Order: sequence, then C-alpha cells, then structure tokens
Amino acid sequence: MVPEDKLSNSGENHLISDEWLVSYAAGNLSEAKSTLVATHAAFHPVLQRKIHSAEAMGGALIEASETAEFSDGFYDRLVAKIDIDNSQDYRPMADNSSKTDPVLPQPLVNYLDRGLDELKWRYMGPGMRQVKLHSDSNGEKLWLLKAKGGTEIPSHGHNGHEFTLVLQGSYSVDGQLFNVGDMELASDDIEDHRPIISEGKDCICLVVTEAPINLKSITGRLFQPFIGL
Amino acid sequence: MINRQPAFRETRTEALTSIPLQWFSSETHRSQRKPEKGASISLLNSDTPESLVLKVAENRDKQAFRLLFTHFAPRIKSFLLKQKVSDEIAEDLTQEVMVTLWQKAHMFDPAKARLSTWIFRIARNKFIDKVRRKKYVEVDVENHIQMMEAPEKTDTEVIHNQDKTRINTAMEVLKPELKSVIELSFYQDLSHSQISAQLGLPLGTVKSRMRVAFQRLRAELGDY
Repeated sequence: MVPEDKLSNSGENHLISDEWLVSYAAGNLSEAKSTLVATHAAFHPVLQRKIHSAEAMGGALIEASETAEFSDGFYDRLVAKIDIDNSQDYRPMADNSSKTDPVLPQPLVNYLDRGLDELKWRYMGPGMRQVKLHSDSNGEKLWLLKAKGGTEIPSHGHNGHEFTLVLQGSYSVDGQLFNVGDMELASDDIEDHRPIISEGKDCICLVVTEAPINLKSITGRLFQPFIGL
Repeated sequence: MINRQPAFRETRTEALTSIPLQWFSSETHRSQRKPEKGASISLLNSDTPESLVLKVAENRDKQAFRLLFTHFAPRIKSFLLKQKVSDEIAEDLTQEVMVTLWQKAHMFDPAKARLSTWIFRIARNKFIDKVRRKKYVEVDVENHIQMMEAPEKTDTEVIHNQDKTRINTAMEVLKPELKSVIELSFYQDLSHSQISAQLGLPLGTVKSRMRVAFQRLRAELGDY
C-alpha cells in the first residue's frame, strides 16, 4: 500500500491539486507539465473553473499594477500597426483549431497537431508501446504510453515524480483504480511502482516523468530501470 | 474511481451592490483636458471595459481602443516588467497584447470572462511564447463554456470596477507567507522548486502555501 502522503498531490479523487492549477494559470509550468495539466483539465469542468479563477487573479493583479511610462511615440507606433491591420480588409480571424480526435482531448490534439491514429508508436516492452513527445533540458519528459489490457507494467522506482493521466482504458496500482481523466502522481521515493492495466481495451496514458537535476541524482539516473526514459 | 463530484459545487461569495462607475476616472479627466486632434474623447458613464471592447469589435472604434489602451497598457507593461524583462521587451510585448486585443476583440465574450482575465491570458501567452519560447497549450475555453451549467451572472460591470480594490484587499488580508508564493508565481514566473529555493523552504511547504493562498483568494474574490 502506498502511504497516503505519497499521493498527496492527486488525492482521493485523482485530480491534480490546486498548486499546479495556479502555476498553470500563472504560466510557470514547463511545456510537459502545462500540456499535462491542460489535458487533464479538459476532462473536468471543476479544474477548468479553478484555472479560470486563477487567471482572473492574474487579471486582477494586472488591474492592481502601477502604471509604467511608455517611450515617446509608443501609441502612434501601435496605431500604425493596427492601421495596417485595418487596411487589409479586416475580417475576424477564423478559428483554425478544427482538428479533433475521438479519444484525445482538445488541448492535447492542439499540442500534437495530430490525432491518435497519426501517432507512430514504438515498442517499449511486452504489451507496451510509447510515443515520446517532448523532453526538456532538465531531463523532464512528456510521452504517451499504450499498454494492452492485462499488462503488468514492470516494477520500477522513480527518480523524480511521475504524473500519469489516463486517456483511454484504466489501470490499477496498489488497489486504486485509475480511469479515464484520472491523474496519478507517483512520488519520487516510491520504490516499487507496479501498475496493472485493466483487462479489455488498450490503456492509453499521457505521462510526465521528471528527472532530478541535482548532481547527486546522476548515479540514480544510471540506474533508472524503466523504459529508457 | 471516477470523479463524481458535481462540476460546480463552489458557491459565489460576492454580494456586490450597485457602485457608481469610476472605472477610468483619472484617464478621462486627462483626455478631456487634452483631446486628440479632431477627436473629442469622452467617456460615458455607461462605458465599461467590455462595452469598449464591443465597440472595437463592431465598429473598429479607435476612441474606444484608446481608452482601453490608456487604462490597460501602462499596467500590462508594469506587470511584465516584474517578470524581469527589459523595458524594450516589456514594450514590445505590450504592443503585441494591444494589437491582439484590436484584432481579436470579436472573440471576447463578456459573459465568459472579465476583460482583465482575457488580457492577462493574452499577456501570459505572449510572454511564454516570446520570452520563454515554449509551447503552452490552452485549456479549451470553448469546451469549458459548453459544459457550464448556467450562464455566468452578468453583474460583471460592477465587479470590474472593484477588481483593483478587491485584489488589493484580498492580498492584504493574506498572510505575508501566503502572499509571497502568489507574487513569486505571477510576478516572477517561478516554478514550485524555484520558489522553494528562493525562500529556502521545503517543496511541500511551498505547495501547501500555494494551495491555501489560492483557496483564500478564491473565497475572497469569487470564482469569476
């Protein structure tokens, strides 16, 4: 059984907790985590609403800001720009985010600019495939996992947190079931993380794997046991 | 375990009554003293940021745009300067925000957000795009709106005028240790671990302070 505090940031309802929503709204998250949070929120109006609240705080902080001076001619240069815009036979810009996918939430489709059937899956282990989406210079990775029903993911430890968002199917770990839209946040000091994919259709997850950036962790990284991430 | 909690359990806490509009007061006086050549800028009492954006959207109304500029641009720039960008970059970004406001005014819907929220989002996205140079997908706002159970209350114009006072008051009553994590997030664009390093606090403490600060501010400011 994983101690509760090891899952403290996803809680009982398997929703990501507020500090991540605030950081998303403030624009502080990495590319991988912001994609994860936006995709997670697409499943849950309650999260969207909280993000909206946090963005409204940002708006209110702009309102409450002091006023800065502009360099000479700033407004004239701005008007010159919008005049060019005017002369080009102004038409409201069409919303070009027309691509959609039956499984992937819109923020993820927008990020990938692709649907599920256009992804190139690579072998990762028995019953498992992956698509690497992004990696940061600090070692953080965003990737998709597809695992066949019944697959037991090999036991692994973590060097850094691992965030897993279920997009299709479900899996269980330590007696907890994670369904579509659920987020699991596995702590960096879990030593034996052993998810089991539910029987039935493939389970597809969006995963962010943190890697520690401190020097001490380099030896840890050498032993990173799982999937070459 | 499916999340079965109702989508919008939260209750709104504001109970605002009608307050005279003084939204642009200082700017109005200034522009009345020194009108643009050939154009007399006057702000009717009925003008709210939202009604001005509507004028920009529908009539390409430059006077309305100027009023929005006068109010927002100096604040956007000052907000951006807090992110430790140069004066030049802050001006470039402010210009882009204002151009976007001009171009996409028709996409703003006052029933869905306050103008300041919309402007914040634009400014944040420009900053991330130009300064941080990373992709940052947006939560699907349209989808969000479709899922909403009821239209938002439309007492927004009253709320706007109180924005500044409300956030200031809300921030003031926030304990300093809670205030600082919010400021470091919004003003200095720091991640949880950067805040933890800057304040010399354990990561868990930073996170729990952010949760508490958010909950307090949200209770104070309402959801919208």
